Amino acid sequence: MAPRIQNQIVSNSLLPYLSSSSTSSSFTSLSSRPRRSCRSFSSTVAPQTRLRNQMFLWLRQEAAELKHHTPGETNYLTSKAEAARGYVGDPRPFPQNIHYCSESILSEELRTEIYNRVVKQKKSVRAVSVELKVDMRRVAAVVRLVELEKRMKEQGKLLALPYARAIHEMVPTTPLRHYDPSTHEEINDLPVHRLTNPQIFYPVSESRQFNRVDAGRVFSAAPALEHEQAAKDAVDPSETISRITQNPSHIEVVGKGEDEHQVLQPADVRIPHPHMVASRREQALVPQERAQQIKIYQARLQKEEEADQERKRRSEERKEKQTQRVQPEDSRFEFRINDVVVSQETTGKDGRNARAPGRRYGVPSYDRKKGQVKIPTRVEV
Amino acid sequence: MRNRATQYLSKPKVRQSWSKWNLYNLVRFRIKNPMHRTHFQQKWDAKSASRAYHGEQVSEKQWARMFSPRIRSVVPMDHTGLARDDGSKWSAGRGQGHDDTMVDSRRWVKPMPFGQATYAPLERRLDVAVFRAMFASSARQARQFVIHGAVTVNGKKMRYPGYLLNPGDLFQVEPERVMFATGAPKDKYDRREMRVAQKQKEAAEEEEAAAEESKEEGKTKENQQEDLSPRDTLKVLLSQAKNIMSKDKDVLPAKRKQELRGFQKAVRRVLSRSESSTVLTDNLEAQFSELTLLLKAKKAENNTEKDTEKKSKPAASSTAAAEDTPEGGSKAASEADSEAQPGDKLSEAFRQAAENPEGEVDTSELTDEEFKVLRRALTQMRDNPIDHSKPYATPWRPRDYMNVFAMIPRYLEVHPKTCAAVYLRHPVVRPGSSEVPSPFSAATSELAFSWYLRRR
Repeated sequence: MAPRIQNQIVSNSLLPYLSSSSTSSSFTSLSSRPRRSCRSFSSTVAPQTRLRNQMFLWLRQEAAELKHHTPGETNYLTSKAEAARGYVGDPRPFPQNIHYCSESILSEELRTEIYNRVVKQKKSVRAVSVELKVDMRRVAAVVRLVELEKRMKEQGKLLALPYARAIHEMVPTTPLRHYDPSTHEEINDLPVHRLTNPQIFYPVSESRQFNRVDAGRVFSAAPALEHEQAAKDAVDPSETISRITQNPSHIEVVGKGEDEHQVLQPADVRIPHPHMVASRREQALVPQERAQQIKIYQARLQKEEEADQERKRRSEERKEKQTQRVQPEDSRFEFRINDVVVSQETTGKDGRNARAPGRRYGVPSYDRKKGQVKIPTRVEV
Repeated sequence: MRNRATQYLSKPKVRQSWSKWNLYNLVRFRIKNPMHRTHFQQKWDAKSASRAYHGEQVSEKQWARMFSPRIRSVVPMDHTGLARDDGSKWSAGRGQGHDDTMVDSRRWVKPMPFGQATYAPLERRLDVAVFRAMFASSARQARQFVIHGAVTVNGKKMRYPGYLLNPGDLFQVEPERVMFATGAPKDKYDRREMRVAQKQKEAAEEEEAAAEESKEEGKTKENQQEDLSPRDTLKVLLSQAKNIMSKDKDVLPAKRKQELRGFQKAVRRVLSRSESSTVLTDNLEAQFSELTLLLKAKKAENNTEKDTEKKSKPAASSTAAAEDTPEGGSKAASEADSEAQPGDKLSEAFRQAAENPEGEVDTSELTDEEFKVLRRALTQMRDNPIDHSKPYATPWRPRDYMNVFAMIPRYLEVHPKTCAAVYLRHPVVRPGSSEVPSPFSAATSELAFSWYLRRR
């Protein structure tokens, strides 16, 4: 039997982060003893190709520093070359792809801060998003995830604590700064609309003010606004914006049948935080008074919130009106019955639209046919 | 499905994997020189190279159906700019703004790398998302986790790796699987330890069966264990904790492990003395809190004994030590309570040991540093314990070369502690950057994109 070889790695990795508060440890590099064949009785040379030799040589020499991370720093393939050139920028994990950089994740403190502001201080998601410069969807997700963590702790389930610590050491994180909140990401992203893809040549007289609203109408092939209407909108642009954002179903519709679509709205309306534009306009009227500006912003946000709540309440009421609830006695279940609509709109032109339920004459169901994909398309909670 | 995602050295292909083979291939990956290739060949090369990375587990037919020439993009807007003007000055003059400065400022806007988002629809797949969230070491492994039922979507088990996530979906992988996937593998000594532990467990079970027949014998054994005085126990505990903490490289690994195991045993012994016997059977968390409570109690006693010189200093340091541990802050209140009335039997024994004026006592009186050492050892034991029943090397450490591939794209919000993530939105392209992690250059991706436009 071959003599036992003391494994060097074990000695240091036993308690990796006792000395410091990190998972990394000072690993001694493997002593470069010659590789042995795994078949100890065989006298033939192990099948080491030239390429394999080169790879292991590379791993031992150049890639030695890639093996383990330094806490709080990224350790990507490009980082060494970039540092040598004196270029400090976004960390790019792939040397050939200059368009992808590893973006920072929320640090643990920032995550708890978001949760505290939303759940304990009862601030709205919108307000927290603007305060901490984090996307609204991310704020909502953080709240969900922290709730999940609490639930798991209550149930006594095991959390992946060392793993989480290692991830936060390897990936760049956005720290929490109370007085100067660092931007985690862009919060006012405007999605590029399908209608704006084609280039349109649209002659306009030089005397005319051709603004974003007009451009949107041109892109969606809607007739130009009446002069009176345009003048009315221009008087108070903030009011116009909030009118549209609060009643999105009232937007003018153009086109017929399949091509029916809403008129493309200007960017002021379509960004996630239109209230920021409006309050900015109002703040411009009192340029020197900081306290006044904050007050204006708060009032605008409050107004926006109330309108949001009202709209949500109304839509819920409407839904409630349409559902009939039946709870039989001594039953655990409550049946919610909605009326089925089978019409031209729901079945579509060819009658095959999935929105309309039930079997329809002349429309075969391919449900049981070979090759039909049965993967669920959504999971409802 | 056969796994074609093997790594070759002769014709390198980059895969969605964290293996060192893949790392080496990633470094030396080159696209063929386009000078000697026709345009069709260039497109073919780009497509085959990029498909080996993006959705290699998806058949070509299926991917061709998923492909969409319309790529989602996004422009960050500045709200102050929007408030300043209504856009009419951009259309003034001859439709390009009044003065040339506007045209110049437009020139600075970076172009959108649309080609990089060619494979964005694949990022919606559950298996790819699990890999991107760093819960698996390769897309293939992520796929296996999904198929084996270790992944839930919105709390329900989802066994389809091809499930397309919707914005707002929360997916979670079992933490044990994630620790296995991302942790360093066991070496042969660990595996041997595992077998030994297994055998010991089996032997213990047999003994238990025997013990049930004669319960009286068991009682005498317990009495024997009680013989060790609490002071000695504490001393042993501390010395073992010190040994664990020492960073000497000349301490043999086997020795160190023995120490750790002994420490674990000692902790169990101390806990079994205390009144609440349920703690022993509870999880490590409860054990830890119990032990810290006991230590705290003892320390408070010490402070009252000799409050002449350092009255405020140890208290401050003890609170600092409490904040050191993650749960320390929250437990401070309960610990303060215990400091007030340490009526516990064990702490009483500790106190007596401390009061004992014999020469041996000085060693059992613990300093702040010693307390800290003990506390850290306990925290370590709770968070990242040695457990040979686990399928990864314990205590857990990240696998080699993991940091090279460590990145979390913005369209996911990942919570590593619970191994859960939310798919926030579909990946998009911004001016100058793309959200789809891809190792290929813009030229390669654009060629691949034009391949799937089917105008070849």
